[in-house]
Amino acid sequence: MYNSGEGIEKIFPFDIIPRIISNTEWLRIEAGIKQRLKALNIFLKDIYHQQFIIKDGVVPAALVYSCPQFLREMMNVAVPHDVYTHVAGVDLIRDHDGEFYVLEDNLRTPSGVSYMLENRSITYRIFPDLLPKSNVLPVKDYPALLYRNLLALAGPQTSDPTVVLLSPGIYNSAYFEHSTLARLMGIQLVEGRDLIVHNHFVYMKTTRGLEKVDVIYRRVDDEFLDPLAFRPDSALGVPGLYWAYRKGNVAIVNAMGNGVADDKAVYCYVPDMIRYYLNEEPILKNVPTYQLADNDHRELVFSQMDKMVIKRTNESGGYGMLIGSAATEQEMDDFRQAITADPRSFIAQPIISLSSTPCYIDGKLQPRRIDLRPFALCGPSGIDIVPGGLTRVALREGSLIVNSSQGGGSKDTWVLGG
Amino acid sequence: MLSRVADTIYWLARYMERTQSMLQVIRIQYIASQDEPHYWGWQPLLHTYGDLSEKEIKQRAPHTPQVLYHLVFDRQNGASVYHNIVRGRENARAVQDHITKEVWQSLNDYYHLIRQDSVAHQTLGEDPVSGLDGLIQQGVLYVGTVQNTMPRDEGYIFLKLGKFLERALQVTDMLRLNQHLFGEESEHGGAPELRYLLYSLLGYELYLKTYQGQLEARSVLELTLYNADFPHSLLYSLGQLLRYCERLKDKSRPESYEQLRFLIGKARTTVAYSTLESQQGEALGKFLAQVRGELLEVAAALSSSYFGNG
Repeated sequence: MYNSGEGIEKIFPFDIIPRIISNTEWLRIEAGIKQRLKALNIFLKDIYHQQFIIKDGVVPAALVYSCPQFLREMMNVAVPHDVYTHVAGVDLIRDHDGEFYVLEDNLRTPSGVSYMLENRSITYRIFPDLLPKSNVLPVKDYPALLYRNLLALAGPQTSDPTVVLLSPGIYNSAYFEHSTLARLMGIQLVEGRDLIVHNHFVYMKTTRGLEKVDVIYRRVDDEFLDPLAFRPDSALGVPGLYWAYRKGNVAIVNAMGNGVADDKAVYCYVPDMIRYYLNEEPILKNVPTYQLADNDHRELVFSQMDKMVIKRTNESGGYGMLIGSAATEQEMDDFRQAITADPRSFIAQPIISLSSTPCYIDGKLQPRRIDLRPFALCGPSGIDIVPGGLTRVALREGSLIVNSSQGGGSKDTWVLGG
Repeated sequence: MLSRVADTIYWLARYMERTQSMLQVIRIQYIASQDEPHYWGWQPLLHTYGDLSEKEIKQRAPHTPQVLYHLVFDRQNGASVYHNIVRGRENARAVQDHITKEVWQSLNDYYHLIRQDSVAHQTLGEDPVSGLDGLIQQGVLYVGTVQNTMPRDEGYIFLKLGKFLERALQVTDMLRLNQHLFGEESEHGGAPELRYLLYSLLGYELYLKTYQGQLEARSVLELTLYNADFPHSLLYSLGQLLRYCERLKDKSRPESYEQLRFLIGKARTTVAYSTLESQQGEALGKFLAQVRGELLEVAAALSSSYFGNG
């Protein structure tokens, strides 16, 4: 992803046929995601404070403490308005029964929202008048909603808060998205080297001298954020940022340490969290998941490896996974060895035949597998989900991997009005 | 404006100005190498725009296509035209939200143009002048696009500061490279070289209109140093630098502005209050070195008080 020099810009293919979601389906998705995020937010607050959920035996302590994204540095840190997951992208898939299942929760720095916006603007150009006539709900409010939430996080003593978007820079594969969002919100796009911390306040270096920064929408991962607190070799972060955050002098979006809630092994417990914190039944189901740290599960998975997808718990982007039906004996053996050595880092799920939708490929309509990533914004005033999301398509025939890094494309997603 | 953004925009302008000036100089040198019976060779340019050792320069200098390749297309040569364009485009990409889409596209097109095999093929083999003309035209397109689309905001000021600082440096370097033409003893033999120097600075026609007739070292120097209407004279570039610097006044910290204004004013005064009479012989070299030093001080002041580098 970070190869330098030539060829750092890649094409993300777009399919012109929109994917359509009816209003009733959408209302269910929306309610399901809101419920889930509410529980995950409480979970994060709980896990970094009193840890009732561990004490009551709902989530095992070993699971939480063995998660590499669990940050002890975040213990007892008061985050503004108790919001951790300001921007979340929840990946949904549809199985043969027609139900939407949650495949994973992305609570760290989910990307793809710029493609949702771009895809819509391509659609209204190639199909004039079609959108209004079909009663498609708009997605264009996303930047305004995000900006409103970011502003609300600034301390009450600041009358004219400065909000910035912190990007790793032009070599990051999502740089296009960072500059698009900064432009749409009218905020500065900064890199780590533009910021300094002085007396636990964050400033950006401008041609007029230093200017105080109140809110940072960061698209840099936790471990790179502050070389003094996390990885010392990080050149993308800002030394001292962590302490400025802890002091409450700057708001960081999303909060640090969210990885413990979207860990793929913790994922199994999200339905229990919903029951425990909200006393509700989950609206959206999880995909059945086997934790390989459990001996019985491991034996079961090893015996039916060809029917399983095995994933590393802390990887994303379609890396570090094995699809049993397409793997060679050698690959399966490698995974068996890796799992036996470190079972906590793997989970297994039965292969789900993702639903397919027509795509216009080589002059014909052909079925291709898809998923759906709606984007949710949590702010002090509640959770907003713009009606739509990013529909990713596995463009290779028969493929189940929709990630853009692995030959995936995207479609415009239409949510119809009621 | 973020310091990094200002820095990036300023260097974008410097790379593009350098590209334009290099291409024009190389084009004229190539014509001279074809048209001039007593051609003086590529060595001085290889010293200025290349990174070769003495030995390599001796080997390559007689082979015009090799020289053109090294100066224009060589990806190993960090100072080649190719590298300038790549860097200019990289800078533009990093500040896409501060330049117009049109400016970005013109730079992106420039990048794709110089990467085309057909352009290299034409420049190195078939018709070097047309090949170089194609590249120069794309550069002119960039200049016009900036002029026509960029809002006159802080970013524009840094574009102009970069452009005119680079131009002043390039003119100074060209004069230093051709110092021997202005010495007392070379009055008789220097005429063809003087003509090519004027061509390289795009000033031949203006020279003819201003001085009519014969080429004189003294008049050429007067034109390139002092003529206020000549956009490639040193005084003109310094005047523009001062003009854009003054537009920064309400956009800077007072102490940064004072320092920059002082240094640019100083360099401009050094040129404006010098006389041709005082620059006979070796004095010219000293004078040009002084101007160059003062220009570099301006660059250092911009870097430290506006771009936050050290």
